[in-house]
Amino acid sequence: MAEKTNNDADSKLIGLLGQFDDPESLVAACNEAREAGYKKMDAYSPFPVHGIDPAIGIKRTILPLIVLGAALSAVFVGLGLQLYTNSSAFDALTPFPGYPFKISGKPIFSIPANIPVTFEIIVLTSAITTFLGMWILNRLPMFANPLHRISRFKRVTNDKFFLCLEAKDEKFNRSASEDQLNKWGAVAVEEVRQDLTDTDLPKWIPTAAILGAILLLLPPAAIFSQWGQTNRHPRLHVVPDMDWQHKFKTQTMSPNVANGRDEVDLLYADLRSARRPVDGAIAFGSLDIDSELNYGVKQDFAHTISFRSNVRASLSDDSKKDEAKGTEAGDEAPAAEATENMEQWVTTFPQGVEVTEDLLTRGQQRFNIYCAACHGYSGQGNGLVNQKAMALAANGDATWTSARSLHDADVKGDAKNPVGRIYDTITNGRGNMGPYKAQIPVEDRWAIVAYVRALQETGLKSPGADDAAAEETKDEKSEEVSEDENSEEEKSEEDSAEEETKEEDKAADDASEEDKTEQEKKDDA
Amino acid sequence: MHETRPAKITSPVVSLGNGYIRTIPVAAIVAAVGIVVSILFSGGLGARFMHAYLTNYAFLLSICLGCLFFVTIMHLTRAGWSVTLRRIAELYAMCVVPMALLFLPILITVLTSNDILYPWVDGGWSMGDGDASAQAAGFVNTLPVNERPPFEQLKYGFLNPGFFAIRWVVYFLIWGGMAAFFLFTSLKQDKTGEAKLTHRMQAFAAPAMIVFAASLVFSSFDLEMSLEPFWFSTMFPVYFFAGAVLSAWSTITLTALWFQRTGRVTDEITTEHYHDMGKMMFGFIVFWGYIGFSQFLLIWYANIPEETFWYNWRINYPGWKTLSYVLLIGHLFIPFLAMMGRTVRRNRNFMFGASIYLLVMHWLDHFWLVMPHYNHYVGGGIEGRGWPTFNPIADLACTVGMIAAFIAVFCVICRDRPLVALQDPRLGEALNHEVH
Repeated sequence: MAEKTNNDADSKLIGLLGQFDDPESLVAACNEAREAGYKKMDAYSPFPVHGIDPAIGIKRTILPLIVLGAALSAVFVGLGLQLYTNSSAFDALTPFPGYPFKISGKPIFSIPANIPVTFEIIVLTSAITTFLGMWILNRLPMFANPLHRISRFKRVTNDKFFLCLEAKDEKFNRSASEDQLNKWGAVAVEEVRQDLTDTDLPKWIPTAAILGAILLLLPPAAIFSQWGQTNRHPRLHVVPDMDWQHKFKTQTMSPNVANGRDEVDLLYADLRSARRPVDGAIAFGSLDIDSELNYGVKQDFAHTISFRSNVRASLSDDSKKDEAKGTEAGDEAPAAEATENMEQWVTTFPQGVEVTEDLLTRGQQRFNIYCAACHGYSGQGNGLVNQKAMALAANGDATWTSARSLHDADVKGDAKNPVGRIYDTITNGRGNMGPYKAQIPVEDRWAIVAYVRALQETGLKSPGADDAAAEETKDEKSEEVSEDENSEEEKSEEDSAEEETKEEDKAADDASEEDKTEQEKKDDA
Repeated sequence: MHETRPAKITSPVVSLGNGYIRTIPVAAIVAAVGIVVSILFSGGLGARFMHAYLTNYAFLLSICLGCLFFVTIMHLTRAGWSVTLRRIAELYAMCVVPMALLFLPILITVLTSNDILYPWVDGGWSMGDGDASAQAAGFVNTLPVNERPPFEQLKYGFLNPGFFAIRWVVYFLIWGGMAAFFLFTSLKQDKTGEAKLTHRMQAFAAPAMIVFAASLVFSSFDLEMSLEPFWFSTMFPVYFFAGAVLSAWSTITLTALWFQRTGRVTDEITTEHYHDMGKMMFGFIVFWGYIGFSQFLLIWYANIPEETFWYNWRINYPGWKTLSYVLLIGHLFIPFLAMMGRTVRRNRNFMFGASIYLLVMHWLDHFWLVMPHYNHYVGGGIEGRGWPTFNPIADLACTVGMIAAFIAVFCVICRDRPLVALQDPRLGEALNHEVH
């Protein structure tokens, strides 16, 4: 028998511990104890024993229900949190305005976007609830268990099995219970006693806990005390030379009056902190004096270009006036377009743009990235954006002008759209189409022009094409060739175009007409 | 005290037996009638019927593949608990061989360049040129490959009839080979009881799983994703897989319950097994929802027209919108909450009903995957008509017919074979299986 079993005034009997040698006899004893009416007891074993739960009469835990409740409330917490933080419409209900995120046209509050966050909150809440609930239901943490004072109990993690009948049980009787345990096959029975001396918590622990809690409350209290207050003092500068650096920031005045010092540093008389470029200075790589390359406009008509960069403005006084005119009267632009001088556009690719297969491939790639969304991969004007927008427009949900088919008769050909004009369309936009000069560099724009011409030239084949239309295309082509100044380049373009389709001279116009009728049908529907 | 059952089959194991040989002609007649009625009500052997056929074909094939996955994963993990259920899965997996014959209508459609099912077979699909000409001129709409738009030429490398046929031959060789290997090795073990057969199947399962995964991925691309050649989602095979495994779990549970109710299998399958199957079903309900939503969320957020149109058809048009919500609630929320509890999973009547319910939902899932395509391309545009494919007799007759054919095929495969693995070395583990 262990040290503490003799009746000690300072200890209290809390149970009887019976030892068993194998799991079968432990389960059998548990069954006996349960049938004898014991309710408060526990079995200890080195490994999980099958069937022990029903043997000791353990009720199913309510932990799953607690977790379910926590998870369901987490749904509302998660959605509510996002509704609150994203919305400005709830100002009246909430003391702080939220941050409504306007991202790519998505609604401010939408369920799909909020599900991942809600899901994570559910998982987190459930995990924490499971963990804490398990502790609470098991009455943890328990700093000392009287069972550990019994030396024979140490083998419970090794090869022995124990059943503990607790003294709190109604059926418990010191001597009768011992007899019962022996009867059920216990190889040894021992008292479990709780040491009553020195059980109080040391006084400094609660004191330290209270002090710590008060200290933790101070920062939020300090912040809370400033809620709704206005402070006219300048804010604290922890690292002053980071906050006040000896430099002028862009778009600021000279002197930098925000430096907080009394004296005035008048560095420049015009109050600008940065110098303007010298008149006529050209930034590296932005020389656009070649109007054919940069504007698709013949050199003879360069002075008529109404859309100007600084460079051109500084080169010619005339053009400066034009620019002023253009900016003053924005409404004149359509009128100017109406009397567009078709002579100005270059009809051949400018110097420096060599139409090769590489260029066409590049153009195809760029076209598929930038243009196909509206104009479609084959240039029929039926890209996915266009399809969707037309569907919306048909319902009156949007206003939309259909993207042009590049194969339409009034779009195709040198008479309507010489390469310079196509280039200008990409650069500055036309009609509802926006300008792309910011997105696409000059070389790539010409590559797209080459590809567009190749698309137009090859057209789209459809069964039952008309031969007459085919002849028309032929004529057009021969005109083109005769007009050609730079026939070598044009030829290489055609070669590449030939690779796209074998039967080049089949009617492309016909295909586009058919598309048009299809489009109309759709519109009618 | 917990009694340990001896590790052998004590009750006389009954096969389907002669009585069920009689089922075969009945099922065959029902199948024939169902298919004929479906063809009549869908207006001939056209696009409408082929779409109903594809829906049901994908539904049944996914069950076979899910069962094949069950067998393979159980060998791969050396599972003991599932030994008594494994034979049912092996028999269903073997059904992929007759499923190869049922694939012929689809394959012939593709090989004859008929675009009533897959628009990519004859090109022109990216130009919005699918339906009108296809209906007017039969299927003479073939555009030479080098005259198609560049985008189509790019996809032609994969999506062309010849390669499609080759792929499907390879898929069926893989699946049929796996299924036959597992079934016949297992049947051999019934007689000899050799443990080395189990080792052989385990060794085979690992490489087979890799090949199976690859073939499942590409077959789901081919079967259902390529209905919209424009649209692509790398998550689609996982979605297909999740549904397939869930329905396989349901089918195995349903079949086991049916065998036990008719006394063909007695106490080899216990409540513990149903409890575990219920857990697996619960897990795959969540997995299906997780994958389905992940696929949706990425496309919804990126908002690229090439991707969103697929969901646009399904969630913004009347009828399809309702069906999408039915799937969300009926395929995810309701079973999620219903199958959560331990008590219900241990209730055989509940598991019987839940299995049937989940199979119905899985069928609706395939309907939802396949049919909007009919609406859009072949039905003359989804926009104006809303819910024009609603032709319940054509669909139900086809479903009844196909399922009857499947049952007939299943009975043929079962024949007089034992419905439980008789001498598996892990039989004891399965018989004494206990859930905590």
